[in-house]
Parts: sequence; C-alpha cells; structure tokens
Amino acid sequence: MRAVVAIARNTFREALRDRVLYLFLGFALVLLASSKLFGLLTVGDEGKVIKDFGLAGIQLATMLIAVMMSVLLISREVDSRTVYNILAKPVRRWQFLIGKYLGLLATVAANLALMTLVLLVVTAVYLRELDAGLLFAAAMTLLEMALLTAFATLFAVLTRPMLGSVFTLAVFVIGHVSEDIWLLTRHVHGGLVRPLVAAVYAVLPNLERFNFKTEVVHDLGISSGQVALTVIYGLAYTALVLVLACARFRSKDLV
Amino acid sequence: MAEIALGIDDLHKSFDPGLFERRIDVLRGLSLEVRRGETFGFLGPNGAGKTTTIKAITGLIRPDRGRISVCGLAHDRLEAREKIGFMAEQPYVYNHLTGREFLEFHAELLALPRAEVAGRVAEVLDLVSMTGPADRAMRTFSKGMLQRLSLAQALLGRPELLILDEPMSGLDPIGRRDVRDLILAEKERGTTVFFSSHIIPDVETICDRVAIVVGGQVRAVGEVRELVAQEADAYEVSFVCGEGVTLTTPLLASHRGSDAWWARVAGEHRDALIRELAAAGARLVALSPVRSTLEEFVLRHYEGGGR
Repeated sequence: MRAVVAIARNTFREALRDRVLYLFLGFALVLLASSKLFGLLTVGDEGKVIKDFGLAGIQLATMLIAVMMSVLLISREVDSRTVYNILAKPVRRWQFLIGKYLGLLATVAANLALMTLVLLVVTAVYLRELDAGLLFAAAMTLLEMALLTAFATLFAVLTRPMLGSVFTLAVFVIGHVSEDIWLLTRHVHGGLVRPLVAAVYAVLPNLERFNFKTEVVHDLGISSGQVALTVIYGLAYTALVLVLACARFRSKDLV
Repeated sequence: MAEIALGIDDLHKSFDPGLFERRIDVLRGLSLEVRRGETFGFLGPNGAGKTTTIKAITGLIRPDRGRISVCGLAHDRLEAREKIGFMAEQPYVYNHLTGREFLEFHAELLALPRAEVAGRVAEVLDLVSMTGPADRAMRTFSKGMLQRLSLAQALLGRPELLILDEPMSGLDPIGRRDVRDLILAEKERGTTVFFSSHIIPDVETICDRVAIVVGGQVRAVGEVRELVAQEADAYEVSFVCGEGVTLTTPLLASHRGSDAWWARVAGEHRDALIRELAAAGARLVALSPVRSTLEEFVLRHYEGGGR
C-alpha cells in the first residue's frame, strides 16, 4: 500500500509541476469566468444558462485534463524508462499502475474542485445563490472522469500516447451518444447496423448516465435509487477496466 | 561450495520485431553463477544480450525459458527484489523532482522505516558526493551527476546484490574513479556486485571474475588471470647456442642478445622447437607463455562470434 501511495503522490506532484496542466486549467477558468457573458447574450433564464454553461465547461476541461495527463504521464514513465527503477524494486506491476491511476485521479479531482469552486463563486456573485446541486453534478462528473481515466490508463499500456489519447476521446464521444444511436437503430430492420451498434453499446460505457446537468439546472428531482445505480455502474465499470489494464501490464515486456 | 548470489540457468528470450518479421533470439541458453561477495564483470559486444539478461534478472522482461535465482530465491518474488539494487544503463530520473525528493520517493518504494528515510537519503547522497546539489531540480544536473544519483538510489536499500548496467559510461575520468571506488567499497561491505561494462581496464581492475557473452550465450567465464592464461597461444623462449646453428621450426620473432637468443614461437610449434634446440646442443634458459591482456582476449571472442 505504501508503494501505491508513494507512486500516486509522485504522479500528483509531477502533474502539478507540469505546464500542460496549467494550460488546460487556465482555459477552463477563463471559460467559467465568461459564463456570465454567455448568460447575457442568451435569451431566457440567465441563471440556468450560467449553470448549464459552467457545468458543461467543467466537464469538457476535466475531460481534456484526464485524457491528456493520463496518457502523457503513464507513457512518459515507460518511454523515459523511470519505470525501470520502480519495478526493479519490491513493487508489483499492479501497484505501479494503480498508483499512477490514483495520482492522476487526484489531479483530476483537484482541478475539478477548483473549477467547481469558481462556478460556485460565479453563481453566488451573479445570481446571489449557492446551489448545492452544482456540487452533486460535479461529483457525478468526477465519477465519469474516474471511468475515463481508467480507459486512458488501459490505452496507455496498450498503445502509443497519441493513439491512446484518440481512443480515450473516442470513448468519451461514443459514450455520450451511444444511447441516442441505439434508440435510433431500433427503427432499423435488417443489415449489420443494428447488431454493430448493439455491440458498441454493450461494450463501451454509457457516459450519459453520469450527466445530471439538466436535472440540476432545471431543479428536477433525482431519485436516490438512480444515484445509487449510477455510482455502482461507475465504480464497477472503472474496476473492470483497471483490472484489464493491470492484466495487460503484468505480462508486458519493458524493452 | 561458495554460496550463489545470482544463478542463471538456460535463459532464453526472443523478441517479436513486428509484423512479417522473424523473431529475434536475443538470449539462447545463457547460464552463469555469481558467488556471494564477488564482483562479477559481464562483458559482451553490443547486441550480445547483456542488457536483456539484466532486465530479466530485475523482472522488467519475462524470459521465454530458464530460471533465475537471487540469493536462493526465485527472481520474480518480491523478497528477491528486496535484495537487489539496480542501476540502469542510462540515468532515468524525474525532471520535476529534486535529487533529494527522488531518493525519498525510492526510499518509500523500498518501504524503509519512515524514521530512517531522511538519514539514509543523506547518507547515500554523501556516498556519491551529491549532498551539495541535492535540493536542485534534476533537470539542471549533468550526466555525471545523474549517474551518481542513479547509483545512490541503487544503494538506498543496502542491497545484497548490486546490479549495474554500464555504470561508468559517459563519466569523465574522475567520475569513473569515484564509481570504481564506490564499487570497491561495496565489495568491502560484502555486497555482491554484478556489472556490465565496455570499459575493459575498469573490469580488469575491479572484478574477481568475468563472463563474456556473445550471441546470447556465455562464451567464457572465470577469473581474469585464468582466462588470459588459457589463451596463451604463444611462448617466449631464451636459449644459448653455438654459432652456425640454423633452426627450421617457424618462429614468430627472434633476435640475438649479448649472451643469448630470444624467440617467440606459436604454441603448436613449442615442442618441436624444444626438441630441435636439444638436438643442436643448445641450452634452454627460459620458456614462458605470452599472456594476452583481457582486452585482447575479449576482442578475440567478440570477433569470433559476435555481431
């Protein structure tokens, strides 16, 4: 356990000292700060637009941080061969990978917390309200990012950094549209389209499950059963992807 | 029988270079034993399989076949890796850390008692003469400094078996001397040192025994003195003989001194020369094998079946 914590802490420290992170974070904070502007430019409820825009901005920025930092930091460890010094010590391969994963997740969580704080300040200043629903939506985004970071970890051990980023982005995009496509193909009969979409829908996660923006922004009710199911779905899927990543890394030759 | 610190038996490893290309056999039945407490040099030309062997010992790659034991334990057990200190061929370090943070991180991986970490880190920094720049970011370090720090992380856990892959490459003469002294100090402490190197004079100075690996197999193993003696394929002969004696045995070289002849003869013609000298009534003064240097010995092996 001590090795896992040491690797996670080192990964977190490396991410915090990396300029790439601040590039993404700067972009996200500018986006959040300008949400008021978008509220003014849009016809309708300004408060809802600020919240919707803010949550979407947080999700996009956190996704970019998760994808880029995950693939970058794991591949860097293998490519720059710093992993040699670690794995020649009494450290199991799964401990290394889980340590990296937790360090990356801590980085994502810290950035998400900062961005959520900025959004809370923006809503407090412009709307004179503190919406706890924003915290809930951010927590669900973190769950989604935990799963996406697990995919990024899997792709980092399977392939090269550039391809890993592309594949993880593909999981994000497909994960958000797969349910819609699946619903559309219910009206298609015959051919390969339907079984193909069914296979993609079955294998890739449905990331729309973690999207509670509409409920939070429009103040709709969310059942505790729905939340519990989403949490179980997220954690189970994340664990499965991490097990696959560890299994692949276990037999990988570090040449 | 001496206790074995590192045992390698019939090690095989091949790599798949890519689609439609033949697998490359890097290790082909490599076997050797390193005794506890000795300093063992691992020599071979580029591509001979030295680094692959070291990676197999440290668990970075999985052998296709064969066994490796470290201090009597299977090498893939964590207890075996607790006994190893490893320094890779290049100093692979984190640019975002300072030298001290780097060593503290590795101390955590070794699960050193928390109360001891700061003291042990200071101790190894002092050992490799890096106390001064220890709090600077590693991206500002020279190659020599990184090499020392890499050696420091290998020494952190007081290993029983120290594995060094080309520890002197890229170092200036002072750096080489310092690393050589450190290896000798570790040997004094009773640590078994297994190291690969291309710098043969260093190997000759430090090592108790060496192995020469070519084409993924050990071609020769033994004490440096023994190995070069085995290779003596020529002899120097001093003899006194009268005027007018003509020798028919082919000589590699000869000249007449003030009171005796000196000649060099190939090993295969040694006995013929002695018989001829006896028949001519000459007096044999001295006969000694010509010792090749380790460098000559190694080069002959490299050229005889290397790349």
